Amino acid sequence: MFSRRDFLRATTGAALAASVSASRFSWAADAGRLAIPGKEDLIIRSYRFLDLETPVEYFDTWLTPVQHFFVRNHMHEPSTLDASTWKLSVGGEVEKPYTITLAELSKLEAHSVVNTLECAGNGRAFHSPKVPGVQWQKGAVGTGRFSGSRLRTLLERAGVKTTGKHVMFRGLDEVPGKVPPFIRSIPIEKAMDADTLVATHLNGAPLPKHNGFPARAMVPGWIGAASCKWLTEIKVLEKEFDGNFMTPGYRMPNQPIRPGDAVKPEDTHPLTALNVKSLITAPLDGSIQPARSLEIKGVAWAGEAEVTKVEISTDGGTSWQAAELGKDRARYAWRMFSYKGKVPSAGEFTILSRATDNQGRVQPVSPVWNPSGYLNNAIDQVKINVQA
Amino acid sequence: MCRPSAAFIATMLLLVGLIHAQAPSPSELPDGPMQAKATTACTECHEARIIVQQRLSKPAWTKEVDKMVKWGAVVETQDHDPLVDYLSSNFPVDKAGYIAGRSRGSASAPKK
Repeated sequence: MFSRRDFLRATTGAALAASVSASRFSWAADAGRLAIPGKEDLIIRSYRFLDLETPVEYFDTWLTPVQHFFVRNHMHEPSTLDASTWKLSVGGEVEKPYTITLAELSKLEAHSVVNTLECAGNGRAFHSPKVPGVQWQKGAVGTGRFSGSRLRTLLERAGVKTTGKHVMFRGLDEVPGKVPPFIRSIPIEKAMDADTLVATHLNGAPLPKHNGFPARAMVPGWIGAASCKWLTEIKVLEKEFDGNFMTPGYRMPNQPIRPGDAVKPEDTHPLTALNVKSLITAPLDGSIQPARSLEIKGVAWAGEAEVTKVEISTDGGTSWQAAELGKDRARYAWRMFSYKGKVPSAGEFTILSRATDNQGRVQPVSPVWNPSGYLNNAIDQVKINVQA
Repeated sequence: MCRPSAAFIATMLLLVGLIHAQAPSPSELPDGPMQAKATTACTECHEARIIVQQRLSKPAWTKEVDKMVKWGAVVETQDHDPLVDYLSSNFPVDKAGYIAGRSRGSASAPKK
């Protein structure tokens, strides 16, 4: 989970808690389930390192509640995080390197961005042939109101030299063995964007430990890996950071490749903004529906672009009807959608959702296969059984 | 016809609950000649759950093992090929998918 020490503490506690809950007869729902402080009812893709997926039924609000917000860790979480001693250094290709405390950071002009944060590997489990990695299905995504200071405010205070072209983030992740540290960089243009943050709050409260307390990068519209957690160092570089999580990690082939084919590093590019994508959040996959009238709900997002249309098919893709988009919107946030329709008879039906954005991008019918299973934005589908 | 007492039912429910709580974790690695090696080599850094959810071909497992050795997993030369065999035979591409559990919820019951 967390750090090694937390892991030992939590697993001992979980075993004890399981016994206690059994004695209270609440075991039917919860016995044997691992307790994860601050998180509730999430799919455990991994416990150590902690990787938690949100079940889609919790995407029924524009902002994803913190306790249901997914967690993606590449390493152990920091053993100790003390807000009073935490410092963030800003250096590299700058005139005046400095460090800043959390108290000082909180005095800078605050800015909030509602962002749909999605792990690049969300949907990896649906690639065929299978690819290695955390087998995320649909819920390594969530929308939160992230607040903090603009990254550019911190960079301008240091004075970026003209040689500074990329900005590197280093977190306090605890690295096991000889695993390369989780360090990534973004181009200076995105770093200086008015909506790129050093975020300290999620949905109005301090970031939970699992989501990067006390501060994380927040690079809106981009893959989640860009938004490093437990931030401790910002370094301006002349070139893109050279490390495992930039190359070969988080790169896509420049051209579509056949499933199973290898691809040369020089024929790849780093992942940046998210694709256009939608998820059906109701009815649930495999559910039994008592009536032929259905209300289909979901969410759709497009990274730095704008969702312009979501279409629903209740006949497996033969015909499509426009869904109504929800009123809540923000530049980098998903739109909720709903569609009321009726199927012609009882029986099994496949419901599909397909989003389009203002760049003309449309969700593909099937995942675009790549060796690491990134950016699966295929049309979503759920199968239901109508019994009326 | 005798009906079981409430106390009997409660006791049985408790026993079933305890057995359920103490059942082998889905994250444990399967039996086999390389179980112990896989446990020491892999779970020093991450738990078994991350292994048991993979469905990979033998070449893909070989690539993963080699990457992990480079990253510090201790696998002696003579154990390399048997370890790849163990992983690729237990977690091949055509095996049914791993079903992940959920963490505890605040109100026990799922929301919907």
